[in-house]
Amino acid sequence: MQKLILALAIAVLTAPAQAHDFTSGSIFIEHPMIQEAPPNAPVLGGYVTIHNNGDVPERLVGIESEAAEKVELHQSVVTDGIARMEPLAEGMEIPAGATVSLGDDGTHAMFIKPDRRYEAGDEVAATLIFENAGPVEVVFNVEERSAKAAPNHEGHGK
Amino acid sequence: MTGKTSTGMRKLRIVLWALVVVAAAGAGFLAYGPKPTGVSEVEAIYAKPFQLVDQNGAAVTEASFLGKPSAWFYGFTHCPDVCPTALAEMSALLEELGPDADKLNVVFVSVDPERDTPEIMKEYVEYFDDRITGLTGDLAQISTMAKDRYIFFEKEPMEGGDYLMGHQASIQLVTADGRFFGTLATEEGFDTRMAKLRRLIGQG
Repeated sequence: MQKLILALAIAVLTAPAQAHDFTSGSIFIEHPMIQEAPPNAPVLGGYVTIHNNGDVPERLVGIESEAAEKVELHQSVVTDGIARMEPLAEGMEIPAGATVSLGDDGTHAMFIKPDRRYEAGDEVAATLIFENAGPVEVVFNVEERSAKAAPNHEGHGK
Repeated sequence: MTGKTSTGMRKLRIVLWALVVVAAAGAGFLAYGPKPTGVSEVEAIYAKPFQLVDQNGAAVTEASFLGKPSAWFYGFTHCPDVCPTALAEMSALLEELGPDADKLNVVFVSVDPERDTPEIMKEYVEYFDDRITGLTGDLAQISTMAKDRYIFFEKEPMEGGDYLMGHQASIQLVTADGRFFGTLATEEGFDTRMAKLRRLIGQG
């Protein structure tokens, strides 16, 4: 019972952080998020979900941010047990009517050489660049890494 | 009935010939095929010598991690996704093990020693869990260790002179005497990985 109450409390407390979205035309951008990294981490991983409510395909072609030297779109792939990272050279397509996440299939935004340490609770302003919709200003919430906060089983208190 | 018998005989002949072919192929493979590259469960490849530096700058060797079972993983700090996830998941496993975590050595080896100094490794690894040892050192030493343990890594250049590393994704579990015990992979789920760790610790 205590666990249940704790779980509910956590759900309630973390809920406001989840309700965080941006709209531009038929593009609905849900919860841009950066996972907190070690203090000296030279790279940060960013994630976001994009809904294309229009009837033409859209493409996320890049991300810009003053907070990092540059931002690249990458995909981590594990082939034959080897982890590699490949740039998403073509960006990320969001077909008409579809929802696609940076975060699916190892995709992520890599914020290279952040200008300072970012901790959970911080916000990172960035611009998502779309092929059709153009630039859209968003804010990435810096959040605690989920594997640490809540592994996929119950009874893990920290 | 004769028809059936001859069919039976023919089947038997085909099976026998098939066995001959398989045996011949096997013999040929043994004689001329690639030498086995899989990890032997018998050979103590994790007891092969190496000299590296831990996150406190102290020299360590293979002996530093024998005598207790261990879990080894490989990565680099310029890794935004796979490595921090692996470290965070390992930290969660250690948390769940509680006091039993002391019965295990957990070692994160940099495959990018040119950039990952001991100071960088210290801050990086201890952010996740100070029970995790971070190793770095001479590139030649890391390469030797990787070769001895059938661990793959390579540099992948990016535009602008930067680079990333491709590397072994799984975590290797090792017995107290340096033999391969098994692997942990993220996609297995927390409970499966936990059970494997407990089994490793249980058999000492």
